[in-house]
Amino acid sequence: MWGTVTAKLRSWEFILLVLVVVVLLVAASGVPGFTRPFSISTGLATFAPAALMALPLALLVIVRDIDISVASIAGLSSVAAGLAIQAGQSVPVVIVAALLTGLLCGAVNGFFVAVMGLPALLVTLGTLALFRGLCYVLLGGTPISPLPDFFTVLGNDNIPGFVVPWAIVPFLVLAVVFGIVLHRSTVGRRIYAIGGNPETARYSGIRVARIRFVLFVVSGVVSGLAGMIYMGITSQVAPDGAQGLELDVITVVFLAGVSVLGGKGRITGVVLASILILALRKSLQLMNVSGYTQGIAVGGVLIASLLVTNLSQRFFGAVRERRRPASQLGADTT
Amino acid sequence: MNRSALTLAVGATAMLTLSLTSCASDGGGSGESGSNNAAGKCVEGPIKIGLIPKLGTDPYMVTVQKAVEAAAAKDGSTVIYTSPSDATGAAQIPFVNQLISQGVDVIAISGSDLNSASAALAKAKQAGIKVISWDSDVAPDSRAFFLNQADTSKIGDQMLASLSGMIGGEGEFAILSSTQTAVNQNAWIASIKDKLANDPKYSKMKLVTVAYGEEKADVNAQKAKELVQAYPNLKGIIVPAGIGLPAAAEALSQSGDLGRVKISGLGPVTLVKQYIDTGNVQDVWWNVQNLGTLTFATAEQYAQCKIEPKEGTSYEVDGLGKFTVGENGTVLLGEPTIVTPENVKDFPF
Repeated sequence: MWGTVTAKLRSWEFILLVLVVVVLLVAASGVPGFTRPFSISTGLATFAPAALMALPLALLVIVRDIDISVASIAGLSSVAAGLAIQAGQSVPVVIVAALLTGLLCGAVNGFFVAVMGLPALLVTLGTLALFRGLCYVLLGGTPISPLPDFFTVLGNDNIPGFVVPWAIVPFLVLAVVFGIVLHRSTVGRRIYAIGGNPETARYSGIRVARIRFVLFVVSGVVSGLAGMIYMGITSQVAPDGAQGLELDVITVVFLAGVSVLGGKGRITGVVLASILILALRKSLQLMNVSGYTQGIAVGGVLIASLLVTNLSQRFFGAVRERRRPASQLGADTT
Repeated sequence: MNRSALTLAVGATAMLTLSLTSCASDGGGSGESGSNNAAGKCVEGPIKIGLIPKLGTDPYMVTVQKAVEAAAAKDGSTVIYTSPSDATGAAQIPFVNQLISQGVDVIAISGSDLNSASAALAKAKQAGIKVISWDSDVAPDSRAFFLNQADTSKIGDQMLASLSGMIGGEGEFAILSSTQTAVNQNAWIASIKDKLANDPKYSKMKLVTVAYGEEKADVNAQKAKELVQAYPNLKGIIVPAGIGLPAAAEALSQSGDLGRVKISGLGPVTLVKQYIDTGNVQDVWWNVQNLGTLTFATAEQYAQCKIEPKEGTSYEVDGLGKFTVGENGTVLLGEPTIVTPENVKDFPF
């Protein structure tokens, strides 16, 4: 039992939990206005799109891929939704248009990375620009507004009687879904296997290319959903919708302890990291810190999280080595 | 219980406790802002004003900030100047929410686009905060007053007239604007296009393209050079963006095109003074500090319930004189002037 307790204490999730509690306590006591229901609900709503996109991205990073075009997919999906709204379509059709666009964009990424074998970072860097460019070409400079009430409520209102805004509900639901898929299903085990060693995974019969392709498609669809929340928040469809969100998304994923080398990371980490970044941004915002300095803070957190996960793995790896009984040393193949 | 579920449970409990505590400390309620301002409350004496620019470090915005702070200092009012780092409408939303949480009396915003902040400004109104806009308007339903530096069509007209004067009334010219979504620039461009189509004075001038400098000096410089290369017969560029005008002037001065290609536009006079003196660049400008003073005075009198945004209402501003509210809550600062080598010394910024 002592082994599992110390194992738990050393886990990145626990460190994150401690950090979250500390930051929340410090913010609640030190930052004026932090505990106001208004601050909490607007903070959750504004952060919802980024947090949502972090969930599939975590899975992608676990299989040693990445998708930095998520914000552009969100923007393009919202443009598709906007064009559907302009054409007078009903809300369900608009939603389908947005999700379908996300799916197609994800499929494009998946094709070039999983099927053609090109590097994920470079492909999604290209599609980041390509999809964003399409936003401007399709929409021009004039945003589309007003939007049907469904989206305005989704982006701005709280669940009646609660502090929780509708905008964060998709994240809460999908966090549970992704958690079950990743930690409790066969597919989840295969995802970890691919991340741990793709070659071994392929030789053991796992359809690596198919799983990677599907993950890109899922990332696209979820980005489409995030795009719809975003357009609700801004009450319009604009060609620069969701621009720049990828910084927060990637920071959440790496802060969550998802290893940049692949094969490690948990959904609980993503949830805790989202809370942490959200609390950090909100506190800085309420202290009237400029957008520039907030960027420094988030960038700093990203680098710090990469550094700490890297160092802690090396440190605990070394400690484990020293504790191993002498007879086993030398027989270790890792 | 496995360890991740335990961790998550502890985390969720922490968040739940936090939100319940905050509900209790604010007297519960349906999650709406617990602001102390009842809707339409009138402030007596000094006010707390929140200023949201398009971009925190833009020199134009900073000049307005200083003027607002100077005016506020006279009666002890507080100014919270927020600093978005991204000139998009969406980037302004967290700052609106921040000012609501800080319980300001008035929010004065220069909109990066028309609609993005609408929902957030609506929440501000619900919390009893008064909203006005300056320099670049937001959706008229979201604000009471709009303090415009000058009549929109007049600014466009003056820029066109100034360029036309420099290039002899005929030839190709381009426009190098700010961002594609910027409301004020788009309005000025629309009025220029309108004048080109309808006014015989400009019948020999041709607008070849509209480019976008994205409120970034390096992009503006690059685009200016590209325009000159793409259109060899180009005789002039109108740059209706404060960051763009000095950047374009500098770029063309370095490439040697300034002189053959004339530049007019909008921007702080201090930044282009050396180019105005050469006679190849003109500027359409006004006294920016006065816009700041007007913004503060309007905000204060509105917060103190002394004025309402009804057409025809007039009010006095210390040091600037009388102002009358026009259509749709718009108040004009005055007439835009073409800045030439003769009058360049009259403009402190």
